[in-house]
Amino acid sequence: MTALHQAAAGAVYDRGYRPYTGPRGGRSESTLALWRLSVRRALGLRRSWRQKVFPWSLLGLATIPAIVNVGVGWAIRNNPVEMADFAFITYREYVGVSTILILFVALTAPDVVCPDRAQRVLPLLFSRPLTGVDYVVAKVGAIAFIVFGFSFLPQVVLFVGQMLVNKDGALSYFTDHAEVLWQVPISVALLAIYYAAIGVALASLTDRRIVGGVAILGTAFVTTAVGGILVDASQGDGSPLAWISIFFVPLDLRDLVFLGHLHPVDSGLSGVNGGGLIAILAYSGFLLAAIAVLLYRYREVDL
Amino acid sequence: MQLASSPPMLRAAGLTMTYPNGVVALSGLTVDVPPGSVGLVGANGAGKTTLFRLMLGLMRPTQGVLEVAGHRVDADPIAVRSRLGYMPEHDCLPLDQTAADVVSSFGELAGLPARAARQRASDVLDLVGLDEARFRPVGGFSTGMRQRTKLAQALVADPELVLLDEPTAGLDPLGREEMLELVGRLNGFGISAILATHLLDDVQRVCQNVVMVDRGHLVLAGPIDQLMQTTGYMRVEVGGRDDAVAVLAQALAAKDVSTTPVDAHHIDVDTQVHGDVTFDIVRDAVADLGLRLYAVSTRHRSLDDVFLQEAYR
Repeated sequence: MTALHQAAAGAVYDRGYRPYTGPRGGRSESTLALWRLSVRRALGLRRSWRQKVFPWSLLGLATIPAIVNVGVGWAIRNNPVEMADFAFITYREYVGVSTILILFVALTAPDVVCPDRAQRVLPLLFSRPLTGVDYVVAKVGAIAFIVFGFSFLPQVVLFVGQMLVNKDGALSYFTDHAEVLWQVPISVALLAIYYAAIGVALASLTDRRIVGGVAILGTAFVTTAVGGILVDASQGDGSPLAWISIFFVPLDLRDLVFLGHLHPVDSGLSGVNGGGLIAILAYSGFLLAAIAVLLYRYREVDL
Repeated sequence: MQLASSPPMLRAAGLTMTYPNGVVALSGLTVDVPPGSVGLVGANGAGKTTLFRLMLGLMRPTQGVLEVAGHRVDADPIAVRSRLGYMPEHDCLPLDQTAADVVSSFGELAGLPARAARQRASDVLDLVGLDEARFRPVGGFSTGMRQRTKLAQALVADPELVLLDEPTAGLDPLGREEMLELVGRLNGFGISAILATHLLDDVQRVCQNVVMVDRGHLVLAGPIDQLMQTTGYMRVEVGGRDDAVAVLAQALAAKDVSTTPVDAHHIDVDTQVHGDVTFDIVRDAVADLGLRLYAVSTRHRSLDDVFLQEAYR
């Protein structure tokens, strides 16, 4: 039989085992891979459509104010001067679309950590070139990255849209609002890291996703309610304990970034001596506590 | 205890692990394990899992030194882990992901580039017989398929050494055969394996060496073939006199050969001291006594016999 005939007749080959001789990364590559896999999981990528609905719907919701703002600005672009600088929502206020972000963290933070413990995947993960610190960095980093994206992208839509519809021209709008180019990323990053660390820390305390989600939302609800009561009781003077509203602490830092001081109406610490410092200390304290919880939870695993 | 002269894949020297609650999981374990397939044998609580934890650098030993693939685990656990694959006994797979995603993910986590990890995942899933099921979620897999997926994720990064914790646990006879066949092939791929199990049959079938531990202590270590030979005995069937077994036992005792009478015609003769010469000694003794020699059969003890004898003597 000729070679041609053999090929035409087909053949079965035992390919056997092929050793891997390509490049191998170390700890940083493994951490990056875990971060990438966690981002993918949180966004529902390579998962069923049901897993994609929630995160992408939230991104859509978070972008609506920007689209409305730009749309209205475009519609009234030829109106009298006092209407031309229409602002349905400001950049500062946009950083605080926190209800959506808290909802997002409550859904995704438990999803990226709870199954690892519940399905006993942790021993496998830690048999790779990873440490507990790497795990925490990858998981918090993944949630922080998405929260940052969900918070930052609508701002980009808003900024670019406003530039395009501005009656004085894009360059004029750009130069008039150049300060938001650093204010927005910094305040959004502060918010994203904080929400991610707190959310993942709370989720790490349980194996069950639903319990983790309820814990995050419950913490947000209870602390906000208690903080609100304390502020109301102060009769407009602000309460030094307003920092107890754990998920609103980063918004005080946002105000420090945007305004240089606490917002007189929005902040419960406004009117309190050293309110800005208290906000910074509360932010740092909660963030460090969350990191400490995470490092404790992932200091070792059982095989 | 040294198993072979080749550079050890695992070297433990005075390895002791005492947990904070006072439980001594390992006590002064000293052993050199050569490359190849090695059975780590012991009952539950013998210290097998603790040894795996120490090898993976997930805990530090209370005392002693542990080297894996030429690297001290306490000095560089990351370097050790990048050379290891690990297959746990328990369920450990993300159930909502496909086998291809699971295995390629663990390839990436072992440091492989994403594209290479996907290619390797495809190859090893093919190797373990899951090529057609690779795009099905692991949650819908049978126990055997999950075990194969676990083995695939352990192999995906082409490790130097793979730690297999009870790989045949929960498998039906056919699944067990297939898993053992796969494990038996690893050595041919250049991958050493340490097979932790309490099923000595599995070890006897696929391993060249065995390390036996009991309650944290090393019981015995060595090449299985050698252990079976040096711990063997032969059964001799004699006749010609009513007290044939008794007189033969007496004659052999005089020549420093220990025996165990079985019945009126059979006697077990220990071959540990004199080795093959024992055959000549028995032949001569039978001839001198004028007995009839009906049969001599070389009998090897199973690993179970060896373990029980060494652990409880």
